[in-house]
Amino acid sequence: MAVALTTLTMARMKVAMLRHAFRGTRAQTAGTGAVLGALLAAGTIYLAFTDPDLLAAGYAVWLLGWILGPIFMGGGDETLRPEYFSLLGLSPRRLAAGLLVSAFVGVAPLVSLTALLGLLVAGVRLGVANALVAVPATALQLAVFVLLSKVSVAVVGLALRTRPGAIVSGLLNGAILAALGQIWVFFMLFGQTGVPAVVWYLPSGWGLLAVQGEWWALGALALLALLLLGAWAALLSRRAGAARPSTRGRRPMRAATANGAIVAKELRTWSRDLVRNHQLTFALSYGVCFAASPLVLGWDGMLPYAGPIFIVMAAAMTSNLYGTDGTALWLTLMTPSASDVRGRQLAWLSAHAPVAIVLTVAFTAVTGGPWPLILALLPALLGGATGLVPLVSAYGLVPGTDPHRRAGNPLRTSEDDGGLTGLAYLMLALVLLTAVPAGLVAIWYGWAGVAVGVVTGVLCHWGLGLLAERRLRSQGPELLDVMRSGRKPQATMKFRFEELSKTHKTIAWLCFGFGAIPLVPQGIIAAVFVTNGMLRHTWFLATYMPSGLRYPVAAAFVALGLAMYGTGVWVVKPRSSR
Amino acid sequence: MTPALEISGLTKRFGDKLAVDTIDLSVPPGSFFGLVGQNGAGKTTTLSMAVGLLRPDGGSARIFGEDVWSAPERAKAMVGVLPDGLAMPERLTGLEVLTYLGLLRGLDKEVVARRAEDLLAVLELDGAEKTLVIEYSTGMRKKIGLATALLHAPRLLVLDEPFEAVDPVSAATIKTILRGFVAGGGSIVLSSHVMALVEQLCDRVAVIDRGTVAAAGTLDEVRGASSLEETFVELVGERDNGIKELSWLSR
Repeated sequence: MAVALTTLTMARMKVAMLRHAFRGTRAQTAGTGAVLGALLAAGTIYLAFTDPDLLAAGYAVWLLGWILGPIFMGGGDETLRPEYFSLLGLSPRRLAAGLLVSAFVGVAPLVSLTALLGLLVAGVRLGVANALVAVPATALQLAVFVLLSKVSVAVVGLALRTRPGAIVSGLLNGAILAALGQIWVFFMLFGQTGVPAVVWYLPSGWGLLAVQGEWWALGALALLALLLLGAWAALLSRRAGAARPSTRGRRPMRAATANGAIVAKELRTWSRDLVRNHQLTFALSYGVCFAASPLVLGWDGMLPYAGPIFIVMAAAMTSNLYGTDGTALWLTLMTPSASDVRGRQLAWLSAHAPVAIVLTVAFTAVTGGPWPLILALLPALLGGATGLVPLVSAYGLVPGTDPHRRAGNPLRTSEDDGGLTGLAYLMLALVLLTAVPAGLVAIWYGWAGVAVGVVTGVLCHWGLGLLAERRLRSQGPELLDVMRSGRKPQATMKFRFEELSKTHKTIAWLCFGFGAIPLVPQGIIAAVFVTNGMLRHTWFLATYMPSGLRYPVAAAFVALGLAMYGTGVWVVKPRSSR
Repeated sequence: MTPALEISGLTKRFGDKLAVDTIDLSVPPGSFFGLVGQNGAGKTTTLSMAVGLLRPDGGSARIFGEDVWSAPERAKAMVGVLPDGLAMPERLTGLEVLTYLGLLRGLDKEVVARRAEDLLAVLELDGAEKTLVIEYSTGMRKKIGLATALLHAPRLLVLDEPFEAVDPVSAATIKTILRGFVAGGGSIVLSSHVMALVEQLCDRVAVIDRGTVAAAGTLDEVRGASSLEETFVELVGERDNGIKELSWLSR
């Protein structure tokens, strides 16, 4: 009874908090997420009408989404933090049970529940008993999804309290995500037989097994849910304890200039902040694993790109640079004569460039080329990243939680995880764009590309840095206010977008929403595949063209993508009133 | 004489709420100026606008005659600020924070090292030389914040709640430092809702209530014959008359 009451109270508390949170931009983000999720769920249900193998594979993807999603999207849903209840003297189990029930309140569980209706569909197609089993199977399956997510976040959170833990979890997460990105490699390895049987035996497949008449699977799901609940309760009670204070000796700061001081401060933050340790090793692991995974097929053509991929991923990880430091921005505002952006750029470069250069040179030496293209991409991307990181974080600032106010979950640097994710993707796309000129010239003219890469890299570093500096100078107090209040001010939130007509809004949505498809995969990536001779590749149209048309088709897609973005900007752009 | 801090017509609106409504204040050089008011009266907002951390909707702020918004470099070089509850470079030790900030302020490396050592010793933070700021207690955070405000030997100090969460021993140290600063010709503006403290330290007071100045002048002008606390409650407190008690608390 008491447990039921606690859980009910917590669930109502969460509903109330969500009602307050889902206003303004966050409501839009949540709405967009819900629509995308509903589409995915509909797709999953459709699979239930076709092939059970595919449905099992679909649920495996949902499972991975639940486990990995929160790790990359700012620590998952923490509307109700365990810390809120630490003074109430609830037993860990009761706390976990209450938090579990409230964890079912939200957009993501609702969307997943919709996707799990596929179990019911599969059951109905088999018979009455199967359909009846589908009901508890759906509930248990959803519980297992949610619990696995909570447990994995809690484990990573604990790991992030020590440096080895942060590094190991960064390496593992990077490897897993890279493997998912390169899943085709493993499909090819397993002989292109379609769906590997293992998807049936992952916990995500047990619900479906139960529906298909393997009754033990239902018991296994229930047992797993109980075990996970116990594990989560145990982890929750460990989370409340503070991290051990550091007592190591510190190397003295040798900087003698303002710029040097900023570099020294940033580099110390890079090495001491375990979340940044995690991000750095994650990007490194992702780059290496992504580029190296085709080796299992005996193809080393992607290996030289480990360094460039590392740079792009590292830039995306740091896309909210200013937001992560929170209100410490006030010190920058109080010392207007020093240049914060330049110092941060140098620090970013000295933390990432050595790794990127060593990776790139070593791996390209292994494969023996293509030197011109790789050496063109390297400076272009490094310069692009150091220019874009301060610029994007100053313009797209997602208000973070001040480091000293963060709760027990170190991954949670902001309450607006949708905003963080969006910013990271934006950064991925923009950094890639900065290397396009150098890459194209290198593909067409060889070594000339390297010169182009150096020039665009230096230009991006200098020019975009200058823009970021200007933004900080002119809008610094506003940015500080955003971080202090945790809210974007009304004026920028409204933008001009609200004033547009419905048609214009739709056009702008379509352009910004889908412009990336022709630009990046069908344009740039297809061109890279064509260059590497990877023809007839999945859905990359240019790779199916006769030889003379391949580059023109990819180029046309790039042009289309750019035109879509251009149209979008043109539609949204402020105009003089008459 | 040019006022150390001159605020004229500062106004700030957050959404529908008028947080600060055309406040005028003048802090003469060499004065110890106390800003008192209830929680949410607009003290922090006013001080943030006065030092250039929050852009006002209207009005201006000058530090020794230099406009904070049109001549920020000169104005900000003359002021040391202790904001309430803002972050620091959290992954640095106290010594590193001071070194970093001193260099940002354009001080010479040796000067920074000497002053940082002095400040940490006086504020009793030198024992925590291996501790990162993020691991500091609330009181230690206040003290390192005060050290950063003093580091470049400014002529004006603007301190938002400098004594909150500070233990009595440290508070006594801080009071001595602040009195010495004023005796040496410096000017201080501090905000607080502890009346006794303001009475003890300040020679001038302004009472802020709901975004406006309810009273301002020398301490004796404002408090008259009664204590500052009584005057304050009279000015801003208890609009519905009568403090309610919690009857269910007594057995």
